[in-house]
Order: sequence, then C-alpha cells, then structure tokens
Amino acid sequence: MMRRIEALRHLAELGEQLPLVVTCAATSRELASIADRDNHLYLLDAMGLVGSVATGIAIGIRDSDIPKVVGIEGDGSLLMNPNVLPTGGYLAPSNLLLVVLDNHVYSSTAGLPTYADRIDLARMAEATGWTVARADDADGLRRAFAELLETPGPCFLHVRTEPGNEDGVPKLLVDPVVVGHRFSTWLQERLVARMSR
Amino acid sequence: MTTMTYAESAAAGIWTAGVDQVGYIPSVTIAPVISALVAEDGGANGVSRRVTPLSREEEAIGVLGALPLTGRLGAVVMQDNGFGNAITALTTFSLSYHLPLLIFANTRGSLGEYNSMIHSVSQPVPAMLRLLGLPVIELDRRTSAKDWGDVVAEAGRHARMTYRPVVVLASFWHTDGSVA
Repeated sequence: MMRRIEALRHLAELGEQLPLVVTCAATSRELASIADRDNHLYLLDAMGLVGSVATGIAIGIRDSDIPKVVGIEGDGSLLMNPNVLPTGGYLAPSNLLLVVLDNHVYSSTAGLPTYADRIDLARMAEATGWTVARADDADGLRRAFAELLETPGPCFLHVRTEPGNEDGVPKLLVDPVVVGHRFSTWLQERLVARMSR
Repeated sequence: MTTMTYAESAAAGIWTAGVDQVGYIPSVTIAPVISALVAEDGGANGVSRRVTPLSREEEAIGVLGALPLTGRLGAVVMQDNGFGNAITALTTFSLSYHLPLLIFANTRGSLGEYNSMIHSVSQPVPAMLRLLGLPVIELDRRTSAKDWGDVVAEAGRHARMTYRPVVVLASFWHTDGSVA
C-alpha cells in the first residue's frame, strides 16, 4: 500500500493536462505541496462534493476532446455524498473519472473510521454502472489510470492507501475565488486551444 | 395566440436566461415546469439532453453549480423544503467560489397547503436564504404568468452579473397550477 502523498504524486503527473477536482483538507494541501497547478480545483471545504462538481464539469465540456475530468476523492468524503455513484451511473458522462483514495479513515478528522473497512466502495460503483479498476501500489495506479483514460463512460479507480497525513505540509490558505478563477481560466483556454487546432 | 401557463412561462424564462443545463429534484407542484422544460428541449418522460433528474438538492448544487467553471450556466428546479439539504453546498461552493446559478423553487407550507408539517421547513426558507446572503425573489398569484417568465429570465441574468446563486421562490396557489 502507498501513502496518500505517493498516490498524489502519480496523479499530479498523470493528470497534468486534465481538469483535477480535489477533495478538501489534507488531500488538497498534500497535492498542492507536490504541485500547485492551474488545472487543480481544490474544494477547500465542500466535503462530499468532488464527484458532483466533477460530474457538472464533465457535462459542461462533454463536447470537447478532453478525455476525462478527474475527481480525486476520499472514502469518507464519498460516503458523505454517496449519491455521486448512482447519479454518475445514471447520467453516464463519457468523460468522468473518479479516483477514490481509500484509507478507511477520516484522516483530517482525528483518524476516526469510515464505513470502508466493511463496505466495498468499488462494488458500490460497479453496481451503479461505473467501469471500475482497483490499485494498491504505484504500478497498479498508473496502469489503471491509463486504461480508464481510454475507457468511455464514468470510470472509478479505487486506490487503497495507508491511513495518516504527511507531517509538515502547510495549510492551503488560499481564496476559493482565486482558485476557481484560475481553474476556470485554464480550462476555458484549453478548450479554445483544442477547438482552434 | 396561445397563452402560456405559469409553469410554461417559468420554464421559458429559464431558457431565456441562457441556461445551458437544468437539474431537477421532483415535486408534484414543479412537475409542469419540468415537463415544459423537457418539451422545449425535445425530450420526453422527464428527461432531455439538457434536462435531467437528480436525487438530492446538495448534489444538484454541486453538478449544476459547477457549470460556470466551464463557461456555462446551470439551473436547479426544486421544491423549497429541499433547501435544508443544499445549504452547505450553496455556501461552501457556490457562494464561496462566486459561481452563478439560477434556482427556481416552488413553495409549500402556506396558503393552499394540506400537509401539517411541511411549513416547519418551508416557512423560514426565505429568511434563511437571505441570512446566508442569497438573493431571493418571490412570485405568487398577484402577477401574471408572463411576469413570472420575465422575472425568472432576469433572475438568471442577475446571477451571471453578480456571480452568485439567485433563488426564485414561486407560490402556485391561486394560479393555474396547484400547491400540492
């Protein structure tokens, strides 16, 4: 199993040219400590909303050739809004990839347990119409990410990670308006650039 | 000349506002608005390319509220008793990121209501939304169907102009629609 920050290092590299919607607290700040890029939309306090926001962005750019909008979510956060799964399966955007970093705990909330040691989130995704892949090491993550990037329809990558946060990573003290504007500008410039090719 | 119903006029106002995508959480009161939206978009049975059902108000704010990040505008059609489910998403996402969103909601719990409980949530909704800093525009029988459409269209433009969600609350009592 990887630590979450190791998984995030791979996702930052693999998703460098893709819209990345990232869950709040430690996950956002660890990703920002690796690379703070314009294509990162940090949901600084909207816990549970990554899948919904990524679905909305996927719908908004469904006619583009950007292959996937990538949501980076935690198990606790997904369980706070599990509607993401049936809604994604029902709406079935072809360009949606949800990566769940599952460490079985609320890492930013004193390490209290989520349901994930008894409930298989990947099976929930399968049951609601997502194409699912699983990974518990770096090679598996990279291989599955590449495969799902080429797979039409809503895709779900379940990555098992170790519990715990990285020490010494600073809080992400940024204005959400700035983060949103930076992301939106990057995305719309990218859409225009691709259309003009 | 064909006269539009209040529901049809509200639906026309949503499209006139330049909305690109609509998500709805169903209610019997709002169903005629949804049907009109779907019909105008060439769909049937509550679904079209640009109109889709969603299962809860919170996710509706997330899905439709994200559209401005792509340069588009979303609308949520719902019933007012669902705002309790939507507050955290409205505040920590739409308001905090300055994202426009048009919300059209039918009201319950007042004149014409049969349910003995729903006023507990519906009655404080306008004050609750205003307390959060959301603009609220209220419609009822005292204006025409055409006015409803005009107001909804302008509410959508107002959302774009002010970079925030705008809520239109509509009471169907003593219009050509029904409360429940």
